[in-house]
Amino acid sequence: MEPWDLQPAHDTGLTPSERFRSVRRESGLLESLAHQVCFSLLRSYFAIGHRLTIVGREKLPTHGPFVLAANHCSHLDALALGAALTPRHRERAFPVAAGDVFFQTRVTSTFSAIMLNALPMWRKNCGPHALADLRRKLQEERAIFIIFPEGGRSRNGSMMPFKHGLGMLVAETNVPVVPCGLTGTFEALPPERNIPRPVVITLTIGDPLQFPLTANDRTGWSEVAASVESRVRDLAGQSRAA
Amino acid sequence: MSEITRERLFGFRHAFDDPVTIVLTLTALTLFLLAPVLILVATRAANSTSDKRKELWDRYRSWIWLALFILIPVLAGAFWTIFAVATLSFLCYREYARITGLFRERTISLIVVIGILFIAFAALDNWYRLYVALFPLTVALIAIGGLIPDQPKGYIQRVGLGVLGFALFGSALGNLGNMANDWNYRPILLLIIFAVELNDIFAYICGHLFGHRKFVPNTSPNKTVGGALGAIALTTPLVAVGGHFIWSGTALDTPVRLLGLGIIVSIVGQFGDLMLSSIKRDLGLKDTSKLIPGHGGILDRFDSLILVAPAVFHYVNYVVGFAVGQPQQIFSGWQI
Repeated sequence: MEPWDLQPAHDTGLTPSERFRSVRRESGLLESLAHQVCFSLLRSYFAIGHRLTIVGREKLPTHGPFVLAANHCSHLDALALGAALTPRHRERAFPVAAGDVFFQTRVTSTFSAIMLNALPMWRKNCGPHALADLRRKLQEERAIFIIFPEGGRSRNGSMMPFKHGLGMLVAETNVPVVPCGLTGTFEALPPERNIPRPVVITLTIGDPLQFPLTANDRTGWSEVAASVESRVRDLAGQSRAA
Repeated sequence: MSEITRERLFGFRHAFDDPVTIVLTLTALTLFLLAPVLILVATRAANSTSDKRKELWDRYRSWIWLALFILIPVLAGAFWTIFAVATLSFLCYREYARITGLFRERTISLIVVIGILFIAFAALDNWYRLYVALFPLTVALIAIGGLIPDQPKGYIQRVGLGVLGFALFGSALGNLGNMANDWNYRPILLLIIFAVELNDIFAYICGHLFGHRKFVPNTSPNKTVGGALGAIALTTPLVAVGGHFIWSGTALDTPVRLLGLGIIVSIVGQFGDLMLSSIKRDLGLKDTSKLIPGHGGILDRFDSLILVAPAVFHYVNYVVGFAVGQPQQIFSGWQI
């Protein structure tokens, strides 16, 4: 017989509220059901309300680990990317969201964790260990991360330079980064609005990039960020043209 | 649905029909009123640290919630009791699946959850034959469900864990729900739960007072022979006296049989505690979760009840019978 290989949940020993804010969180049966229901509803909403068009869906790897990196100009972005994933992918998909917006209070962190399966990224005091935890989770749990490397929403719709945190997740690994260009989300829900407008949204998915030979240091991280940024810029342009 | 069934399921007016229910409820209330005074006196006398004091108060507050979680459904009616037992089964299984890692095996976990749902239905329906059939059928389904990933590696482990989980938290714990099919279920359930929880406390206190020799040092280093014997000596008469009033005039109402019931509650309760200690020690964990402040997880609190439920049910069922005269197949037996 093989040695015993089942391990306790990585979040064992955390109180419920600590667990929702932890990147070690692992979903159970009910939570998985909640994510699936939530993203199925979102998918219908985007199909009807925004006529979401996805170009290049066949370029998504069949299974995790991989990282979806996109431009960020609206709260709709993560939801649109999540809705674009297949039900099989959603099980392991984690939108990486700003801790100070989505995990500040008990209510928002419970909602973000249970409904969206989001993981917090604390922007002000995010040490290297937080990214190291995410890097480990990505590989060990064959996870799918939805991340926005600009580090925040663009306030005017134009793309900002990518931060090198993305590089810290994937440099020196075979984990593919799938660049995505989103258009229409800014017009649908700009920062000053609370209710989205029914604007057409287009998502263009590019060929996955891998960085096994890029050094896992500051120069390497910047290289990763720069190369993904230029691809995302192209794809966003293609989306706009489409 | 007959009138007698409706009254049993939802008839909260019958909550205090039996004097034992009144006595147990009042005792619980008195303990809750006295406990703050005792905590204050004890912490002052022992000059406890603030951490220790906070833990005691956390425990006390949690006990109030737990008591409400038990008392309200039991007093409200059999329907709510069975609902609460099913909730308890789910919460216990959830913690078990998370600490053993079984929750990652989604198919098996889903089968166990469906099994628990059916167990709750069988209890609610008073369909004992379905209840009996559910154990082998669910085990067969788990064995089949384990085949779905087409990965023989780890098959015995995931199926074994699934069967143990269903046996303990579905089939065994579900007997508490089955007991609610007896017309006079309230004092029976309250007495058993009360006795099992007190049994833990008795073992703890007696262990501190006369415990010298370690009982099972590898499984649970704090347990002592003195504590275990003390708990038996105190819990047995408590159950016997309560049982005498509940089952007066029936075949169970003889000193030997009542003491037998008490000994079962005390010994099996302690084994339930040791069973969870073994599971946790095997996994290298201290608590099963941090859901209840001051106590740990739901399993940490209700571990002693898991094995007592089937033992008491079958003992009483053998001697006097449960749910005698109650209509069976309440919902599934409807004629169209």
